[in-house]
Amino acid sequence: MSDWSANFRHALTERGLDPARIDQLDCDALEQAADHGLAPEQVFGPATVYADRVARALRCPAAAPLPAQGEPGCALRLTGVSKRYGRRQVLRDVSLEVREGELVAVVGANGCGKSTLLQICAGTIRPSSGTVERVAHVGYVPQTGGTAELLTPVEHFQLFAAARSDSRGRGVAIGTQLATSLGWRPPASQPAGQLSGGTRQKLNVVLGELSRPDLLLLDEPYQGFDYGAYVDLWAQIDRWRETGAAVLIVTHMLGELHRVDRVVELDAPKDC
Amino acid sequence: MNAEATRPWLHGLLELCLLGLLGAQRDYGLSLSGRLADAGLGDVPGGTLYPALLRLETTGLVRSQREPSTSGPPRKYFELTEDGRDALEGLRAEWRTFSRSINTVLGAEARR
Repeated sequence: MSDWSANFRHALTERGLDPARIDQLDCDALEQAADHGLAPEQVFGPATVYADRVARALRCPAAAPLPAQGEPGCALRLTGVSKRYGRRQVLRDVSLEVREGELVAVVGANGCGKSTLLQICAGTIRPSSGTVERVAHVGYVPQTGGTAELLTPVEHFQLFAAARSDSRGRGVAIGTQLATSLGWRPPASQPAGQLSGGTRQKLNVVLGELSRPDLLLLDEPYQGFDYGAYVDLWAQIDRWRETGAAVLIVTHMLGELHRVDRVVELDAPKDC
Repeated sequence: MNAEATRPWLHGLLELCLLGLLGAQRDYGLSLSGRLADAGLGDVPGGTLYPALLRLETTGLVRSQREPSTSGPPRKYFELTEDGRDALEGLRAEWRTFSRSINTVLGAEARR
């Protein structure tokens, strides 16, 4: 086996593909390179880069989006929401609406209250004034935290499934499948505290989606992701939306805003 | 146009081109890359061509079959599925409208 082939196989394994599929892809690549009369490196480029492209090509959604049925319902509605901590006004009179199947982005300067707004939507903090109406079944991916240092990814899946009175086995199966779609294979025995920042954030994203929520709240969910996982995440967000979930995302990746239905801009902080 | 010039244009259109080529006849990778080059679209690297074919396969627009070759190793032949034919028809119409608009904006139609 050439080095290219070994590297290709290794990279595909890391991306969660099953051994039979890897054999087949490796065999295809070697035959195609032979057909070109060149070494695989010359036809496909570096093995790791090619494996990443191949793995992404295989993760395209096969299913067509569900046909829209009537007027989509409202998944989240904020009316005149303000938040102050003592004399510091963090949010002033924010109103927004996210409908089913809609992706809405929250943008704004650092310190303008984006994360606070998401916590208010999630219900982890109360607004000082205004009302929040939303569907009951919500997934929340915080910017940091959200995972328990000493539990393995699989234990997280079991815990989150149990919290919704779902079977643990089902939680693990769905969690593993969702991880694969982000190009990640959860390690069997490593606790979350030992995972890299990017990998822990992937766990966070999987946990947010694990129970198939009707509303997903994402706070800069791709911190520490490599480029492939970043692209996969946006593809996954598109899929959530296509299946009718409402998504509210805090982001400063302004280059991705062509993907969103609406952008809500928060005002820059006044007193700093 | 040389290959350097066509690359950014082709970026979003490679899958459409492949659907078009496969709509005309079923084919394998090396021959598809030759047909793209013959059409004046330059050398498409294998690292771009084959993942595009895989993507079309994953989305169900194309299916593939390995067949023995007389000259070397077996070849993977690609052909359009029913969905692929429908998609090609729709995209072809979209492309006609879009390219007509671009030509109008660029003033190409007026000068001709």
